[in-house]
Formats: sequence, C-alpha cells, structure tokens
Amino acid sequence: MLHDILFRVRALFRRQSAETELDDELRFHFDHQVEKYVNSGMTKAEATRRARLEFGGEEQVKGECRDARGIGAFEILLMDFRYSLRSLLRSPVFSICAALTLALGIGANTAIFTVVNSVLLNPLPYPHPEELLAARKNDSLANLQDMQRQTTSFASSGGVNIEPMDFSGIGEPVRVHGAFMDAGLFQTLDVQPMLGRWISPSEDVKGGPRNVVLSYAFWRDFLSSDPQILGKAIRLSGNDFTVVGVMPRDFGLPEASPDVFVSLWTAYPSAAAERDVHFMHTYWRLKPGVILTQAQADLAQVDRRLAEQFPDSEKNRRTILVSLHERLVGNVRPALLVLFGAVGLVLLVSCANFAMLLMARGVARQRELMVRASLGASHRRLIEQRLTESTLLAIVGGAAGLVVAKLGTSLLLSLKPAALHRFQAFPMDARVFAFVFVISLLTGLVFGLLPATSATRNNIADALRENPNSTATAISRSFLQGFLITAEVAMALILLAGAGLLMKGFLHLRSVNPGFNPANVMTMYLQLPETRYPKIPSQTTFRRELLARLNALPGVTAAMITDLPLAGNYVGHRLVIDGRPAPEPGTEPEVQTLSVMGDYFHVMEIPLAAGRDFQNTDREGQPLVATVNQEFVREFFHGEDPIGKRIDWARQGEPHEWMTIIGVVGDVKHSGLNQPVDPAVYSLYSQNEEAWRRWMTLVIKTTAPSAPLVEEAKKQVWSLDSQIPVSSIQSMDDLLAESVAEQRFNLLLLAIFAALAVALAAVGIYGMIAYRVNRRTHEIGVYMALGAQPRDVLRLVMKDGIKLVLRGIALGVVGAIVFTRLMVNLLFEVKPTDPGTLTAVALLLAAVAVLACYIPARRALSIHPVTALRCE
Amino acid sequence: MQPQFVDLPQGTLDLLILRTLSLQPMHGWAVSERIQQISSDVLRVQQGSLYPALHRLERRGWIKAHWGTSENNRKAKFYELTKAGRLQLEIERHAWEKLTAAIAQILETA
Repeated sequence: MLHDILFRVRALFRRQSAETELDDELRFHFDHQVEKYVNSGMTKAEATRRARLEFGGEEQVKGECRDARGIGAFEILLMDFRYSLRSLLRSPVFSICAALTLALGIGANTAIFTVVNSVLLNPLPYPHPEELLAARKNDSLANLQDMQRQTTSFASSGGVNIEPMDFSGIGEPVRVHGAFMDAGLFQTLDVQPMLGRWISPSEDVKGGPRNVVLSYAFWRDFLSSDPQILGKAIRLSGNDFTVVGVMPRDFGLPEASPDVFVSLWTAYPSAAAERDVHFMHTYWRLKPGVILTQAQADLAQVDRRLAEQFPDSEKNRRTILVSLHERLVGNVRPALLVLFGAVGLVLLVSCANFAMLLMARGVARQRELMVRASLGASHRRLIEQRLTESTLLAIVGGAAGLVVAKLGTSLLLSLKPAALHRFQAFPMDARVFAFVFVISLLTGLVFGLLPATSATRNNIADALRENPNSTATAISRSFLQGFLITAEVAMALILLAGAGLLMKGFLHLRSVNPGFNPANVMTMYLQLPETRYPKIPSQTTFRRELLARLNALPGVTAAMITDLPLAGNYVGHRLVIDGRPAPEPGTEPEVQTLSVMGDYFHVMEIPLAAGRDFQNTDREGQPLVATVNQEFVREFFHGEDPIGKRIDWARQGEPHEWMTIIGVVGDVKHSGLNQPVDPAVYSLYSQNEEAWRRWMTLVIKTTAPSAPLVEEAKKQVWSLDSQIPVSSIQSMDDLLAESVAEQRFNLLLLAIFAALAVALAAVGIYGMIAYRVNRRTHEIGVYMALGAQPRDVLRLVMKDGIKLVLRGIALGVVGAIVFTRLMVNLLFEVKPTDPGTLTAVALLLAAVAVLACYIPARRALSIHPVTALRCE
Repeated sequence: MQPQFVDLPQGTLDLLILRTLSLQPMHGWAVSERIQQISSDVLRVQQGSLYPALHRLERRGWIKAHWGTSENNRKAKFYELTKAGRLQLEIERHAWEKLTAAIAQILETA
C-alpha cells in the first residue's frame, strides 16, 4: 500500500518524464515489431503498416498505461485546471465580475469572522483560562480575603480597581492608570513578568514597601525601555515607588490595560481597610477539577457568614461567579452574532449571484460544451470540468476576499467600538484562513454544481442545431434562476429590515433628551493628589481659586462636578430622610451623589424645576444644602413638596448632619441615553465631608474656539499646581456622540451589509431580465411586427421579474419577522416586528427591484423587428 | 497464413508476465515474443494489454523497471521481478494449478 502511494506521488511529480518514457517504451516496441516483420521478409512499408494495425490506438494504450500507473485522477484535475484557467482568461469580464461578487461576500464575512474569532473564540491570554472566573459584583479587599481564606475551591483570587495616578517624573505631569490591587491578582492571572518579579504577598500589607510593577507600554514610553530599571524609584501621585518588575508586552488585566500595578495597601490604605468599600473587580482561579457550581456553593456559605458578622454593610451580599470569558464577551456576543448572521446572508446573496453568472456563462458556452460532448466527453466529465472552473473562480474570489477583509477589519477598528477596546488589532490567524478556504471551496462546489448540472443536461442534437434554448432546459434553468432571484430578494429584505430597525432605534436614541445642552461645553478631568491636598479646606481653596481664574477669562463660564453625565463614573450613597422611620441599617435606598461647585446647572443648561439654585452664600460654615433631580422627587416624595425637607447619608454611629433640599432640577441621563435615570442628589464640594472626593471634572461654556481655551485652562491649573495632570479633555458633544458609539457601530455595519445585499440583488435581477430579453429577441420582434405597443412589450419582459421580486419580498417579510427577533437586545424602543419599518424597507426594495427590471427591459423596446426576426 | 490465437483467460496475463520475467529481466517486446514463442504461437499478447499490465505490476511493486541497452543497441526499458514479485508468482501459480486441477477434474468426471 505504501509503495502504491509513493509510486503515485512520484508519478505525479515525474509526470513529464514519465510521459516521455512511455513514449520511448512504446516507440521501442513498435520499431522492434517492424524490424521483426522486415526480417521475416516484408518490405519496410508493409511491415510498418502491419505493425501499426496491430498496435491499435496509441493514445488509448497510453491512456490505459496512465490509468494503470494511477495518475489518471491527478492528471485530469490538472488538465481541467489548465483548461479552466485558459477559458476564464478568455472572458475576463465574466471572470472579474464573478470573482468580485464573491470577494465582496467572502471579504465581508471574513472581516466579521476575524472579529468573532478574536473576541469570542480565542482563549484569554492567561494560562489555563478555563479555570478563571470573575465575580459579577465588585467587592472590598477585606471580604475578598475572608472569602479566599474560608473556601477550598480556589487556587487563588485577586482584586483590582483602576485609579488615576499622576506620574510627574518627566515634563508635563501625566495622568496614568494605576491598578490598585492585591498580591493575589498576579498569582491568579499567572503571567510571569518580563523583568523582575511580582509584588509578593508579604509586601502587600498595611505599611508595606511602596513597590510598583510596570506595564510594558509605560516602561517603553515613559522610561525609554531602561533595562536597568529594577530597583529605581518613580514618582507616582506624590510618592516614590520602587520598580520591582515589568510585565510582558501583551499583558493586560481582563477588563483594562493599566500603566502601573501597585498594592492597594500602599497606594490607598484608607480604602484597603474598609470592608464596605466595594470597589474591586475580583478574579478567581479554580483549583484543578473543581467546577463552577461547587465553587459557587462554597462561596455562598462564606457570604452567609459575612452577612451575619457585618450586617451593616454585608447584609444582602451574594457573590455570583461567572467564567471570565463570559464576563468579557457576554455583552458583545449578541451584537456580534447578529452581525455574523447578517453577513452570512450577504454571502448567500453573493453566492446566488455567482451561480447566476455561471449559469449565464453556461448558456453562452453551450455549443462549446455540446461539441465536446459529441466528441465523447462524458456528462460527468463536463460537470467535473465546470466545477473545476467554478471552484477556481471561488478560490480567486476568496483570495481577493482576504484583501477586502483586511481593509474591512481596519475599518472596524477605526470605528473603535467600546466593546472591542481590548483589541488593538484583529490578527488573521490560521483559523481565519481555514474559514476563507472552506467557504470559498464550498461556494465553488455547491453554487457551481447548480448551474453545471442544469447546463449539461442538454440534448446534443439541439445544441448542434444551434438552438441553445430547447424548451426542457430553458424551463429547468429559468426555474433555478427564479429560485435564486426570489432568495436574493428575500435575504436582502431581511437585512434591510434589520438595518431599518437599528436605524429607527438609533434615531429614537438620538432624540432622547439627555437633560442638558451639550453645545459649546468643554470638559476636562483633574485629580488632587492626596499628599498635598489631604483635607477638605485645601481642596476647596484650590477649586475656588481655579474657578475664579477660569471665570475671569473673557466669555467663559466654568463650573465643576464630580462625575459628568455619560462619562461612565457613578458614586452612590445610601440615603435617609429626616422625619421618616429609619429603615433597617443596610437596607436604605441608594441614590446617586454628585458634588458641584460654581454655576453647574447654568453651564449645562439643566433646568430648575422648583426651589432655587445654589448660591455663592451656600458654602462652608453655612447650613448644608442640596438639590435633587425630579426622579428623586418621584421616588421619595410622591406629590409632596420636597423643598425644605432634610436628607443625609446613612451612617453608623455618627449624629446626622442634615442637608436641606433647596431646589429640584431636571433629570439628566447619567448612565446612557437608553438607561433609566436614578434619583440623584447634588451637594456642594465646599460643604463636603468626604475628603476622598479629590477628583473633579471642569465644565467650561464658551463660544470661543476650544483648542486655545483648553491650553488656557491647563495654564491656569498649572499656575496653581504644576504637578496636576489634566486629562479626558473632550467636548460634551463628543461625549454624547461617544455614548451611542456602540449603537452607531452596529447600525453602520448592518447598513453596509444591507446596502451590499440590495446592490447584489439588483445586479442579479438586472442580469436575469437582460438575459431573458436577449433570449426572447426573436419573440419580441414578432410581437412588435404584429403591432404590439411598447407598454405591452415592457409588460411582457418585466412580468416574470416583478413576479419573482414580489414573491421574494413576501418571503423576506416573513423571514424578517422570524429573524429580527434575534436583535431585540440591540433595539431601543422599537419592536422587532415594527410594521412601519417593514413596510418602508419592502417599498424601498420593491422600488430598487422594479428599477433593476426596467432598465434592461427598456432595451427590448429598441429591438428592431426586422433585425430581431433575422437573428434566428 | 494467420496462426490460431487463443484469447487469454481473465487474470492470467499477470501470471504469464511474472513467470516470463522470472527467467531473466527483459523489455516489453521480448516479453510478448517470449510468451508467443513458448506457447507455440497459441498465446499472443496485444501490446494494448501488455503495457498497462506491466505498469500495473510495477505500481504494485512486483516488478521494477530500469533503462538499459537492448540487443540491437537501443535504449529500452527492462523489467525484472522483485522479491515481492517472486512471492506473488508462487501464489498465483499455486492458485492457477488448483484452478486447472479442479476444472480438469470436473471435465473428466462430470
């Protein structure tokens, strides 16, 4: 057997020489035979004639020898390949059209598949990623450590919170992302540092040494890849940290890519000690062999114990773990799968077009095929031959598709959807190439087979009589064509419906009133370092002075707030209301809390609904005041007048310091245009007791150009304190646009796919009608000679097309109703079966389709009866 | 006058070729000549079947080919039996003998 295979392979590679050898061998035999006859007394001519007679068909003998050597199949494939190549090159327009059609379909698919592959299929970049879990809710360090100690399911666990830090080593102070973590995090993720070591558990304690591990990017960009960096100190937020390690280039935390990694105990000791500061993302590594449900049960008993032990803060705790992969991709998956499904439809449409192109070509080449058939080519051989051709085309199309896909993925990346922030690039790996290859091959075979079988099932005699339109085949072909057109139109409609729904949802979203006016508002973020601004008074002085200087600039109104709407930050506190029975500790309602200074509501044009705005006289030393939003009133003061009522944060063991509600302002969409508004309380920075609110976002209203304004603002900040980084500089308009980037991304992609499908379907319809007009030239000529009006002729040629289109649209509407349900998560205030959208896209598609019918049909009008009659 | 030819029974050509080549390596023409001679011109191998058979046997590894010089000083492809070929010859010869013995028995007794 092995010998057999080797022999065949060798035969394949030595094809040329084997062929000469065969010639030589047979020639030798022949000559010998002639010689023998000559020796027996024949004349040379006689001997040659006799030998040749005996010899029989030389080609046949050779063919049998080739078969015997077992190279037949390869040979034939090679022959078909060369033949196909020649015939494709002879009709370049057809070849380019077919390959391009597929390149678009395959390219779009590959682009999306590349993303799906990177996001959903590729394993996480950590060893044994299947053991990694994440908790749905954040937790405190104390709880995390108790849970790790009191369970047996986990090999390790770690927590992290990303906090801004100032790095003031070089030039302008910069804001960097610090990972405030515990030592368990490195162990859990289990990625070794490139240089040095991790922060060890013995250092990760109260009063431990200030050590830092750097990210590769930080080390490269800020420390010029200093190979001697270990042991040196860098200055972060006013303290010196000793570098003990540098992580490898591709290392990042699961949900962020921080610049520096520091122990929570050294960077933020006050938060590390607090059990009720639930601000760490926690990650867990299962012991080998332990499954999620076991771990979950293991944690549940610790949760119960902690709830009993610390009822104030931990009463309702319930830790839910999910696989890390699920946590990371869970919210992207629906959108990606919808896009993947949509782009699959695009591929089917382009395949249908491909099949129709092949079919039209089959008709054009009918005589050639028939001649070959009459010369002895078998039905099977002809199909094989055409399959080789369609597969060759499909593979060329697939290769071109790779180029389209490469461009496509760059486009996707440049749109920078937030959900894909983890990815700097979408590499095309072996899986992507395999995907393209398989898709191309299948396309070539399946969609080549359809027209190939219909084209060869013909009567040779018919073909030779120069009548390529024998009734039987024409019917089978037009049936296939009709089927393809109907399917194309239906799929285009489904895509259009999807895009239409997203569009409608997006318009709804954009028309949502955010509750503020984003026009002409610039924003920037500052954080006061704890070392220099540990207490409220120094912070207040800085803020007041900064606002005074900014407001002194001509044409500028400036104010500040802790967290901007739509910027992703949120601080909540539990609330008590004076004069109402206090709920059980730990069960008070939570509201959003914001601190402001300056004329914030005026700058943002947030309307005042009742009471009064903050005034300059509301400041430290004066009675504590607060404004609330309308949702707050709805939730806690049903119909009651809230002005003058007193509220405070739920606190343990301290007397209440009541804030009096002085005003009600309009609701602001803080968490997103498609998110509900939470009850919110605005208090004053100057009356604040929480010194940890050291950050602020400046909002500056001005009609002046923003670039010089930003420079001026930075200058003012640095004239007060040259060590404070100014970051997240963006206009409110941009922030608003960014908040719907995800939806815009989905909409844009689906719109592109739908447009592609509609264009392809239109081309398909056009091609079909043009082909039919062509085929019926004679018939039309007769009609016209008999006095048919242009209208009648138009009706004649368009009738079939329109019928197919209508059938396709009907089918598509049904399909849309079935399939758009899958996108319900992506839609905002639109039902997946929205009748308006379905009607609109059906009409749009019908219009395009009728146009695609009409243009080629009009050509029928220009047929001259005499020419038409002659063309037979 | 044309000699009387007998068609070769199915499957016997391989046996004859193997047997012929077991004497000495030879080229295709010599094989057909030898079979014709030894069978006193009764068996005649057409090249239409000879060469495909040779190539088939070569692929199976029972014979191997090399280019040499013929008795009339021309380049010719010589075939010789391999070890596997020798074994195959014994197997086929044995099978053939059993077959002919059985057929002879039937012809005599039935």
